[in-house]
Amino acid sequence: MNDDADHADLRSRDQPIHEDMTYQLKVWRFERVGWYVLVLVVVMGLLGAFSRGMLSSRDVRSDDGKVRVEYEMFHRNGSTNPMKISVSSTPDSPVELELAGQLLNGFSIETLQPEPLRARSSSEGIRLWLQTDADGRATLYMTLRGDGLGLFRTRIGSPGTHGVQLDQFIFP
Amino acid sequence: MDSVLRAGAMYLALMVLFKIAGRRSLAELTTFDFVLLMMIGEATQQALLGDDFSLTNSMIVIVTLIAIDVGLSLLKQRSGWVSRLIDGEPTIIVENGKLLHQRLRHARLVEADVMEAARSSQGIERLEEIKFAIIERNGKISIIAREN
Repeated sequence: MNDDADHADLRSRDQPIHEDMTYQLKVWRFERVGWYVLVLVVVMGLLGAFSRGMLSSRDVRSDDGKVRVEYEMFHRNGSTNPMKISVSSTPDSPVELELAGQLLNGFSIETLQPEPLRARSSSEGIRLWLQTDADGRATLYMTLRGDGLGLFRTRIGSPGTHGVQLDQFIFP
Repeated sequence: MDSVLRAGAMYLALMVLFKIAGRRSLAELTTFDFVLLMMIGEATQQALLGDDFSLTNSMIVIVTLIAIDVGLSLLKQRSGWVSRLIDGEPTIIVENGKLLHQRLRHARLVEADVMEAARSSQGIERLEEIKFAIIERNGKISIIAREN
């Protein structure tokens, strides 16, 4: 756009109105750059940079593979997203799961299925006891509603396993 | 507190978005533009009110929006710079019967848009009969006819 700034069409006129074409060219440039930004936002939205999509959906496992968490990295304030936690342990026995960190500060748990055998609060968060099946697996399905704003760090683990660390961001 | 912030943020965001869209975008409302405007309104409504549908909340939001609007108009009255920033300036697009093509290109307009405005406002049939065509600050094209 700069190269045609001195084109005769783009010189300021004084009749019938007083113009400032330098300013008008800036406005048009702003519109053009703004359009690129809008397209970028649309593409980012499609990719899931604002929740629910390729960039947002995460599936993490602990180093020893015993804890697996599927979650959304980006949330929006007021909207709900699922989180699935799977734990491996001895078959047909209760297994302890700890949700520690900022999860409960930023989110409210709307649903929790299946209902844990027991639940306790701990110094860092909550502890839940789940019943494992014959293969030694237990899965917890949660629905989280984002209440806070900003970054929330959570550690999900089970005693005797390496936990997993989650970073979740809630948009306004 | 959050109602005021929501309303303020939404006012600002929409203002920037409509600046990007340009002054022409919703100046001449077609049927589809009208539908689009309603859809934007629907999408905005939820974010403005959140999950609080009380009378108090809606009044706070409306009062904030009107307060910002009046505040800005007062500011525009005092400062030419703010006025120019928010409302923009008129731009000439036809001069003595000749289209200023570079300007039309930047303003995303074609000759048909100018002729449409010429027909509807002045009953002008040919480009040569136009002395000046100007995109006004509100996005409408005003036509000044040549004197015979």
